[in-house]
Amino acid sequence: MENINFVLSGLGGQGILFMTKLLARSAVDKGLKILVAETHGMAQRGGSVVSHLRVGGVKGSLVRAGSAHILLALEENEAYRNIPFLAKGGKLYANAPTTSFPREEVRPYLEKIGVECHSIQASDIAAGLAAPMSTNLALLGFFSAFQEGPISYDELKETITQVSPDRLREINLKVFDKGFEWGAV
Amino acid sequence: MTQKEIFLGNGAIALGLLEAGCQVVTSYPGTPSSEILPEVVRLIKSAGLNTYVEWSTNEKVAFDNAFAAAVSGKRAACCMKQVGLNVAADSLMSAAYIGNMGGFVIISCDDPGPHSSQTEQDTRLMARFAKVPVLDPSSPEEARQMVAVAFDLSEEFQVPVILRPAIRVCHARESLTWGGLKNNEQKASFERNPGRWAATPRFRFILHGELNGKLKEIGRRFEKLDPFNFHDLKPGEKYPLGILAGGVPYSVVRDILSDEDRKDIPVLKMCAPHPFPEGLAKEFMSACEKVLVIEETDTVIEYFLRDSEKVLGRFSDHVPSEGELVPEVVYGLINKTLEGLQMKGLSSDGRQSAVELVKGLELPIRKPTLCPGCPHRASFFAIRKARPKAIFTSDIGCYTLGINLGGVDTCLDMGAGITMASGFYHSFAQDQVDQPIVATIGDSTFYHSGTAGLLNAVYNDSRFILVILDNQTTAMTGMQPTPGLGIRADGTKGKMIPLERVVAGCGVDFIEVVDPYDLEAMNKLIKKAVEYTNDPAGGVAVIIARHPCVIAYREEAIPQKKKVVVTEDCVECNFCHDRFECPALYKDTDLGRTAVDQTLCAQCGVCLDICPKGAIIEA
Repeated sequence: MENINFVLSGLGGQGILFMTKLLARSAVDKGLKILVAETHGMAQRGGSVVSHLRVGGVKGSLVRAGSAHILLALEENEAYRNIPFLAKGGKLYANAPTTSFPREEVRPYLEKIGVECHSIQASDIAAGLAAPMSTNLALLGFFSAFQEGPISYDELKETITQVSPDRLREINLKVFDKGFEWGAV
Repeated sequence: MTQKEIFLGNGAIALGLLEAGCQVVTSYPGTPSSEILPEVVRLIKSAGLNTYVEWSTNEKVAFDNAFAAAVSGKRAACCMKQVGLNVAADSLMSAAYIGNMGGFVIISCDDPGPHSSQTEQDTRLMARFAKVPVLDPSSPEEARQMVAVAFDLSEEFQVPVILRPAIRVCHARESLTWGGLKNNEQKASFERNPGRWAATPRFRFILHGELNGKLKEIGRRFEKLDPFNFHDLKPGEKYPLGILAGGVPYSVVRDILSDEDRKDIPVLKMCAPHPFPEGLAKEFMSACEKVLVIEETDTVIEYFLRDSEKVLGRFSDHVPSEGELVPEVVYGLINKTLEGLQMKGLSSDGRQSAVELVKGLELPIRKPTLCPGCPHRASFFAIRKARPKAIFTSDIGCYTLGINLGGVDTCLDMGAGITMASGFYHSFAQDQVDQPIVATIGDSTFYHSGTAGLLNAVYNDSRFILVILDNQTTAMTGMQPTPGLGIRADGTKGKMIPLERVVAGCGVDFIEVVDPYDLEAMNKLIKKAVEYTNDPAGGVAVIIARHPCVIAYREEAIPQKKKVVVTEDCVECNFCHDRFECPALYKDTDLGRTAVDQTLCAQCGVCLDICPKGAIIEA
């Protein structure tokens, strides 16, 4: 299998690490090799947070600029900030208004390198289910509907079931599924 | 029985420690090292081991405790961040001469970037300085393997060995297979030998000679330390360019050369750079016309190569001398080097045009901020309000972010909030200038290195207010307990040592405790403290601002939740943004005034008392 590079971005406290963990664990459970690079420490106090996930036989944990196949952004500006990571033909999934994303200035560049953009108002979906802290799961569910990369909807769902604490399992799955529905239409 | 599990790099190190039979592990938390000890605790609990663990009060204390265990014949390790090793440097220099009996491994985690540190210093240089061997892992799995090698080496040569994982190893995750951890049954024993364990200068000269001899021997060993040190030269072949890389940059270089299918560039991997494997380096140098050295963060290998004609690196400006060597930087510098040598370049430009594009978007700069509900925010607000003209000396921790509220003017190193306050006091007092000074320091930092400075300030009659921001945890590094709580690293009960008693023991006579959520009470107390510091019979005044961290004590920290809203009285004067800077207060452009993000709001209610127009009210 070809190596697949993910970049996940957002703000401290949005659950980037959890989202990365779900993808990484799903990959490992199906026998794939992974390397993850995480942000800890001061930047977690509300700063820009990025984590990298590399699936396949690689040595370094960081994704090189220009080589991310998939960019998942939990916040619109954090999506733009990480555009340089996207590879030619990469895919961008963002928690952003569906009508205006991506903003005008970046469109020519994304078109030139053949990046497909998909956005979903994941915060609203999570808030609508009274789980505003689960925006990450809404975006992840949305992403899973496009069948991009090595990890499927079913595999992610299984991982969420396994790793969620008891009190959050049901709501986590509900938000994830709602995100999936938005992506599947 | 074995199992597969995704480990954090620091977890892989913890696993390596226990697999190697390490019996004593000590640490003081600091990014990127903080998770090693908690991972050790998790593993010893799951495997039922009797390993001794402790959060020591500082890195020197951690070092000495583990060192003594190694002198008693046990395998021991101490873990810290790179600047923590500065605190333990006195011990390190001496321990190198004396050596140990059981294996002694120092884990010092580097932070190229820097992401969460005062400096980008290179622990490998510290190893060279102290004359001890150092191993520099390129991945979590390699770090785990290196721990075992480090213990064997340390025991065989009776010398401390440093493992220096960089942040990309510490905070990487990798899937590892593990199982079958067992207790090491080595018993403690101590044989009197004052010539060694209490060596005077005359003996030190002899020990120094012995250390030099050990290093020569280990250096030869490092020439054949496959898979940590090796090259992929083909016998007899000559190359226009070779790359010499160690640690994390080695992984980056390998990925780039493999992505680009560049078999024409040989690589010398050097993850055990000191004592320097001279022979191995010579083999590589003689087969290559030029050698590009890619190492983090300083010039250790480059120095040892001692060849300014052939070597390309930091001295020749081929490699940046500051900042992390992230893949795109390494890609760019290899490409530039190839171009300079008129060799075939790499395939792309590293998306430079996208970087320019994003710069042009003027995206908001996301600086880290104190959390909604953080008691430090209340403290800084009250301090600034009561002493607007003061110099605010501060320290290392979450509260360094008080800089955003104008409550932090200096931040040097652990404990300097106090020592710089006394230093400023005497500088101004010498000129008969009455300069108000308010120092802040966190509870954990105070236990770490506050007492010596406070003793000194009281003894030498300094006058300033010290506010100890007591949130009952070591928050920035991930909520490790402090001596003030009396909970130990493994969760068992320890002796609780209240701040008040320590402060009183430093000779302070003005000690008051306040909940900073009560801005009015805090304000009054600061004014009382001002009087005390101005009184000829007074001295240093200490205020303990005590309120639990809202992250560590999610349930108890805010017992009375208050929902707040901003009314039409808001005139967008920015006072709350500049002086209170709560992430839950934002400028609503549609409403044309400040509003409350109810998702982020912790409902602490402190902001009810800050708005000059009274526009923040309880809903």
